[in-house]
Amino acid sequence: MSVTLRDLRRCFEGAVPAAIATSSGDGTPNVTKLSHVQFVDDRHVALSYQFFNKTRENILANPRATVEVIDPGTATHYHLYLEYQHTETDGPLFEYMKARLAAIASHTGMSKVFKLLGSDVYRVLRIDAMPGGLTAAAAEGADLLSGLRACLAGLTGSADLAMLLDGVLEGLERHCDIRHGMVLMFDPQRGCLFTVASRGYPESGVGSEIGLGEGIIGVAARERSAIRIGYAVQDYRYVQATRQRFAESGGDIELDREIPFPGVPDANSQLAVPILLDQRLLGVIYVESPQEQRFSYEEEDALSILAGQLAMAIELLARNSEQAAEPVRETVALPQPPVAGSAPVEVRHFAADRSVFVDNEYLIKGVAGAILWKLLSEYNEGGRCEFTNRELRLDVSLGLPDITDNLDARLILLQRRLAERCPFLGIEKTGRGRFRMAVRRPVRLENVARC
Amino acid sequence: MAAMQSESMVLDCRQAAFLLGPVSMNVASRDAALTPSVARAFGCRIAADGRELTVFLSASHAAAVLRDLRAGAPFSVVFSRPQTHESRQIKAHGVRIEPLAPGDVDLIRAYGDAFVAECVPLGYAERFMRGFFVGVADDAVAVTFTPTAMFEQTPGPDAGKRMGPKP
Repeated sequence: MSVTLRDLRRCFEGAVPAAIATSSGDGTPNVTKLSHVQFVDDRHVALSYQFFNKTRENILANPRATVEVIDPGTATHYHLYLEYQHTETDGPLFEYMKARLAAIASHTGMSKVFKLLGSDVYRVLRIDAMPGGLTAAAAEGADLLSGLRACLAGLTGSADLAMLLDGVLEGLERHCDIRHGMVLMFDPQRGCLFTVASRGYPESGVGSEIGLGEGIIGVAARERSAIRIGYAVQDYRYVQATRQRFAESGGDIELDREIPFPGVPDANSQLAVPILLDQRLLGVIYVESPQEQRFSYEEEDALSILAGQLAMAIELLARNSEQAAEPVRETVALPQPPVAGSAPVEVRHFAADRSVFVDNEYLIKGVAGAILWKLLSEYNEGGRCEFTNRELRLDVSLGLPDITDNLDARLILLQRRLAERCPFLGIEKTGRGRFRMAVRRPVRLENVARC
Repeated sequence: MAAMQSESMVLDCRQAAFLLGPVSMNVASRDAALTPSVARAFGCRIAADGRELTVFLSASHAAAVLRDLRAGAPFSVVFSRPQTHESRQIKAHGVRIEPLAPGDVDLIRAYGDAFVAECVPLGYAERFMRGFFVGVADDAVAVTFTPTAMFEQTPGPDAGKRMGPKP
């Protein structure tokens, strides 16, 4: 039975170092250990270029290389006969390999030594399986496939984006035993991602932001490519990323206006998969685990399929919500008036970054902050509490982009931040494209204009 | 032949101790078209005078390497200690391929035990590590060569530095 490159993907997890043989132009063979072989597609692998060494000198003179990889389950050895084609120094393949190399380096105590200079792409000419090894373990993946099927079935029938995203994370836990995860949506105006749904954390972290290129989520988003690592890497951890961003900004970013990223503090395995509609970035599904090597290529495949279907489900919901809003259902309970005699809430809005503080506690900023300010202003001026998504879309002062405005995601964000921080203010859905601002204490508004 | 002799080197005690330790061993050669061949080796012995080194290859695992060596191609072998990443590469102009000598099977077994013991603390399952050695003792051959050069290959700034013999 001939072996395909795809069959060997688990040999490329970096669990067991590979070896590479090359030959100089004058025929002197060279052999060395190799930390990292990357599956590219059914005919190509990529090797990490970290130093200008003999191997590299040889492949530039004579493009043939032979690599021995080892199956981490059966210990079977395979020989891959390769031909060097080209080197990539940026883009998705490079970034994926950089993240994985950093994980391997950190795991093996080689962080100061391993640094990716390029991804050398090779065509695979032949694969030979060596005899020996152990009997293959029971086939993995069957459970994952049925789990994925159950997750996909859960995508249908969600009434709104909040249900859809919560359903995805709940499905991953129930059907795939993935217990820590979040969905972030992309804000193209500000070039960042914001957490809209999360599961498996003491604090939801809804509203926390990740810049493009920041950590594994930001890199996966920027490169529009899944990234998966199986060992902890300091550079890709988020507590670190936030602190670093603060340091690099020279303190310009005010940490008191940052919502902490939820994250497992000792995550060893991380997998970030972009949610793409064609090539348009909608967001990222991120899952993590304290266990090392928790996610394999199979989980990466499964989440990529899930993300693709999720993108279509999000698009479908967005199209539905663009249709005319439903009339207010008569059965909807009327809003409760503010409790008489309760102390007024101080709500302060800073126009510079459209951040909103409630009783001096940071709540939210950006478009979601502007929306809240608009809703509360109209409530205070005329007692208005019924609103439609459409009027928000048409309100230029909110600064929503013309297309892909993410309004639904921003409303979920606002709704959840309010539920967590200010239970006396609430956003309640009253029908498709409609919602109510529920205000249960008197509010006093103060706008701090731009300096 | 005289030229080869002058290039040969003698392994000192420290070098010998490293090569005989719990190190992974990977060998390489190449064919006439300069296509490299690669295989794992399963232990080694060093001649009493420190001038000849023998590594044990599985005839089935290393079929391509042995084919190239029989055609007279040169040889390389890298020794790398999993716990420290300390690595050396040794080169030779050619090799002698012979059946195992008495005692070699015991050397292969002892090497296997030591290598497994080295790797288990790194998180590899013992059963998995034993899988490397399945069937090896049954078809192993002895590949003997005179080292002509040794290179530092521990990842880092000195990787690739020639350690001997002095030019």
